[in-house]
Amino acid sequence: MTEVIETAGLGKRYRDVWALSDCTLSVPAGHVVGLVGPNGAGKTTLLSLASGLLAPSTGTISVLGGPPPTGPAQLARVGFLAQDAPVYAGLSIAEHLKLGARLNPRWDAGLARARISRLDVDPRRKAGKLSGGQRAQVALTLAIAKRPELLILDEPVASLDPLARRQFLQDLMEAASEQELSVVLSSHLIGDMERVCDYLIVLVASRVRAAGPVDDLLATHHLLTGPRQDPPRLPAGVRVISASHTDRQSTLLVHATEPVLNPAWTVSGVGLEDMALAYMRQDAPLSRDHHHLGVCK
Amino acid sequence: MTWLTWRQFRPQTAAALAALAAFAVLLAVTGPHLASLYQTDGVTGCRGAGCGQAANNFLSDAGRYQVVYALGVAVIVLAPAIIGLFWGAPLITREFETGTFRLAWTQTITRTRWLATKLALAGLAAIGVSLGFSLTFGWWTAPIGQAARLATDSSFPLGMGPFSLLAFDAHGIVPVGYAAFAFTLGVTVGLLLRRTIPAMALTLAIFAAAQVAMPLAVRPHLFPAEHTTVAVGSVDATAHVSGNGSFSLGVRELAGQPGAWVLSAQAVNAAGQPVSSVPACAGQAQHTQSCLASQGVQIGVTYQPTTRYWAIQWTETAIYLVIALALAGFCFWRLNLRRS
Repeated sequence: MTEVIETAGLGKRYRDVWALSDCTLSVPAGHVVGLVGPNGAGKTTLLSLASGLLAPSTGTISVLGGPPPTGPAQLARVGFLAQDAPVYAGLSIAEHLKLGARLNPRWDAGLARARISRLDVDPRRKAGKLSGGQRAQVALTLAIAKRPELLILDEPVASLDPLARRQFLQDLMEAASEQELSVVLSSHLIGDMERVCDYLIVLVASRVRAAGPVDDLLATHHLLTGPRQDPPRLPAGVRVISASHTDRQSTLLVHATEPVLNPAWTVSGVGLEDMALAYMRQDAPLSRDHHHLGVCK
Repeated sequence: MTWLTWRQFRPQTAAALAALAAFAVLLAVTGPHLASLYQTDGVTGCRGAGCGQAANNFLSDAGRYQVVYALGVAVIVLAPAIIGLFWGAPLITREFETGTFRLAWTQTITRTRWLATKLALAGLAAIGVSLGFSLTFGWWTAPIGQAARLATDSSFPLGMGPFSLLAFDAHGIVPVGYAAFAFTLGVTVGLLLRRTIPAMALTLAIFAAAQVAMPLAVRPHLFPAEHTTVAVGSVDATAHVSGNGSFSLGVRELAGQPGAWVLSAQAVNAAGQPVSSVPACAGQAQHTQSCLASQGVQIGVTYQPTTRYWAIQWTETAIYLVIALALAGFCFWRLNLRRS
């Protein structure tokens, strides 16, 4: 099995509003996959469908080669950390671990204890009295000690301060490599994704705009600067993602599988954040040619 | 799941047990004196006509515990509503409002089992608590209930019959049915509205409506009513006649049928036709009943005999339990229908 999540024409409607429509994508196994996109792109809906919390209105979705988790067998294989890391405010940390142990047959008590002891908080402390970062760590511990094959995190760091955010992501990365987990996490903070993800999916309005291993994406996207050309003349195989022009100069963010060898342009690398932001612009073209890409009509 | 449910439900259980304990203490302190009054007033071991007077005396003496009696009735009548509002409605809404359903539903447990555990534990607690209230109160009121059947004077506040509105609701097995119904109603409304306060308000409204509709529209017809025609004056009745001879009759109690539930009383003439006016008796305010009797007026009464008390109690309880089960079934269906 190479895909942890695979969808085709997936849609979810709330009354008259489509929160996600006609979404086709695949998420490969063995990666820490960042799902980025603006608010309203459908990230939370997609991840809720993948975790079995929601049922699709149309289309299909498979998770770890099976149906989205609703039965015990699939539920045990998927860990989920919901947005804002919900925990039972009236229960202590220790009671949350007990909860995890009682509700999950594959529960790793040693791992859970070790993770909580690193938190440096009294386990008798009520979860409602924890800081946002600590609460997120408790919720993450629950999701990881369950020993899933796939860990899904919905905006796990959105409500954390920068320090807690960095700690959380570092911790997540360690866990992912130690447990050989496939991880999918969503965020609209692309800078954070750059630090932890080795695979990126840019989702805009239910459509995949770009997807691929981060290294590949960085290797195939370039920033071209040169004298003003509008529209720019470019060799075949070079696709403009975004363009900006001043009176004298044009700056292009392009996708190109071959090196751009044109003396008219100064070619420089592009950061993941700039690349993703370029794709998030509404007029950005739909990506069609990547191997892992969702071909979204 | 049992542990988590119990852990979440612990404060409510503790509150319920505390209330039940306080209630039991109050009744345990006053109950023995009430029972001794029953004995000293001579109701115990009475025979024949003496019983009526002894029961009258006891009901008069027991009047000092009227407040305790009223409190007991109030507690038992209100307990199901409180259970529905504070146990049923928040059972699921709280998980929606805090988002913890996302935590619970992504553990290795199906949401059917999640709901089943919650419903079973809290539902059984609701039934147990209401049964506890009803049994202790039933023990306490036993002398009053017996005396009320023997008494010849039905004007004592504590002498109300077993079918009277609040007395029926506060005795026997029906409180269990009410509690089960109110609880599952709260859960169902909570599942549909997903917010605690609106769910509590709607639960209260529906439950109150059901509690009014049941005694007025359903309970009288659970079993076909008995009919009988009795002579005016042979029953404990009220009669008022106006200047033009039209009159009204009310029957408080049937002779030989103490505690029977009189559903309706209608004056009829010798031919069995309903009458509402006897001009000959106009102005006979002092001797209305004897005048009516002399004019051949009789009273047609429909009633439920006292012997049906437990049949009606069990039937009504069964109705509420069936509704509760249906609501629970709906909750399971709904929870899995559109996953949240």
